[in-house]
Amino acid sequence: MRQTTDPAAPDTLSDPAPVRSALRRFADPRSLRWKVAAAACAMALGIGILVHQTTQNRSLGIARAGAVEDLGKAETAFRAGQPPQSHPATGAYYRMGDEVPDELRDRIGSGAGPVIWYDTRHPLRGYAMWAGSRVNGTLLAVSVDMGAEQRSLEALDRHMRYAALAMLAVVVPLTLLAAELLLRRLRRIAGTARRIKRGDLDARTAGRGHDEISEISSAVDLMADALRERLRGEQRFTADVAHELRTPLTGLVTSASLLPESEPTDLVRDRVQVLRALVDDLLEISRLDAGAERADAQPVPLGELVTDSLRRTGLETRVSVTGDPVTATDPRRLDRIVTNLILNAHRHGGPPVEVTVDGTTIVVRDQGPGFPPELIAHGPQRFRTGAAERGHGHGLGLTIALGQARVIGARLTLANADPHGAVATLELPDQDG
Amino acid sequence: MRQRDSTPAGHHGGSPATVRVLLVEDDESIRRSVGMALDRYGYEVSAAPDGLTGLEMFRDGEHDLLLLDIMLPHLDGIGLCRRIRETSQAPILMMSARGDSMDVVAGLEAGADDYIVKPVDTTVLAARIRTLLRRATFTGHPTSDDRSVDDSVLTFRNLTVNTRGLDVHVDGRPLALTPTELRLLLEFVAAPGVALQRQTLLREVWDYGWDGDIRVVDLAVQRLRKKIGADHIETVRGFGYKFRR
Repeated sequence: MRQTTDPAAPDTLSDPAPVRSALRRFADPRSLRWKVAAAACAMALGIGILVHQTTQNRSLGIARAGAVEDLGKAETAFRAGQPPQSHPATGAYYRMGDEVPDELRDRIGSGAGPVIWYDTRHPLRGYAMWAGSRVNGTLLAVSVDMGAEQRSLEALDRHMRYAALAMLAVVVPLTLLAAELLLRRLRRIAGTARRIKRGDLDARTAGRGHDEISEISSAVDLMADALRERLRGEQRFTADVAHELRTPLTGLVTSASLLPESEPTDLVRDRVQVLRALVDDLLEISRLDAGAERADAQPVPLGELVTDSLRRTGLETRVSVTGDPVTATDPRRLDRIVTNLILNAHRHGGPPVEVTVDGTTIVVRDQGPGFPPELIAHGPQRFRTGAAERGHGHGLGLTIALGQARVIGARLTLANADPHGAVATLELPDQDG
Repeated sequence: MRQRDSTPAGHHGGSPATVRVLLVEDDESIRRSVGMALDRYGYEVSAAPDGLTGLEMFRDGEHDLLLLDIMLPHLDGIGLCRRIRETSQAPILMMSARGDSMDVVAGLEAGADDYIVKPVDTTVLAARIRTLLRRATFTGHPTSDDRSVDDSVLTFRNLTVNTRGLDVHVDGRPLALTPTELRLLLEFVAAPGVALQRQTLLREVWDYGWDGDIRVVDLAVQRLRKKIGADHIETVRGFGYKFRR
């Protein structure tokens, strides 16, 4: 038997639903690929800012040195009594007294200077580098025009923007592509982990390569190996225990039947029967666990089989059959499922228990408190009935029913009815019997 | 084969109608308890703890039915079954302690008529034994008086079946069939050319309901084919078998 697994990889782009989900995954801003793209953009921006800063610092440094040199010349000229020239080319060009801008004046204060001030008040007129000092109580100042430097810096910025955009136009798609290759591998690992979670213990990532993703991939594979080994070990142990119990139990069952009739004998026989049923169930589960079970299908009249199964349980159960449904299935396994569902309904549910057969669907319904919510959410847990109101017992019957249903390709759903009662619905694969 | 009344008499051995059962089982408690239980049902039980002893006891005395465990020391139940089948057509019921279906198949292939899984209710065991013995004492379908003797002899190419005298010939040579095989063959020759469902055969010959294992039918048909020739019985896929006219 093969375990029923959900369609393995959602990577198949054959029908529209996976295409949509792939697109949604692509557009998801939380995806790693956009983070990688954002990192590329941030890098381009960072380099731009760095170049801009360095270039500007360099031109400011040159301007500062020029301004200080000019101020030196102006001081010499002032001391020599030369009046300030109107044009720098004709000699010492400087301003004095009230011509000195207020900002520079404030900076010089009552000190002697020299003080440098970068004038950015009039971006349209262009920036200027000022140097000022106080010579014999008079304020002197020179300015170096920074317009050309400023324009060339702007041109540099513009070029860098263009270059960055062009580069990103190439780099981002390449990054997305490269990220996609990695992401696909990561998704395959995630998909494998999900399959293992769903019970497919043979799922492996089968990753190749020697990078970090392969490391994760082989770690997942190793974990799956260990998990499977451990689970198989436990399954083997269960099977071994059940097998070992069988021989002494056989002696016990037969011996108990030899005891003279009495009340204690009835007690012993009753307990021996319970023990026997438990061991039988354990063996059946271990066979189902081993996955070696194979359905032996043949045409089966469902109404007849269900009625026969009910009769053998010896419990009062109402049955209604619609029509005369016949389908190809394994009658022994179907009998096991129906018997277990009926026993469970009587043991944990409440009377009256009703069974309806309609087409290839068999429904077992009781009027008890219903299945506990954990059972509906997570399926039956072995040796756990979940809620106290469902009484004592073990969850093996439903586990067996589900396991056998899987073997014959049927779908068994457990639900609660409104207003109360548990409903187990067995849908056999629809086919011509 | 001796024809005996097989109904559990409720009284202990000694009556001339006593059915003798050979039980081969290595576990002492099972051997003793099953022996005592069968004794209560009126069977005369002789028990052996291992395969070789079992084979010896089988050769030394006459037994109407054999109850064999599969896992046995020295000679296992399957080997023992095969050795017994070399000379005897007595009904053989295998007891399988394992849930392993391969054991069961091997036992049926070796010639066992039916199997029962341990631990087993004594009532169930007794019922299975009764069914097997009924088959062994089966005297053919009731034939109405107005039918001539010739009607009871059916011929299918090289195969001749006398449904009243219960003897079978292939190419003129008498054929030794076990009661189960004979009973199965009678089901087939009663409806030549009709596809018989395996479940129907299981019910008619083995007396099982829907909880029976149809592999006992498949393997008995296999054994029957080996004896009468494979071309007499046709497999109808997913349904059952059909006897060729």
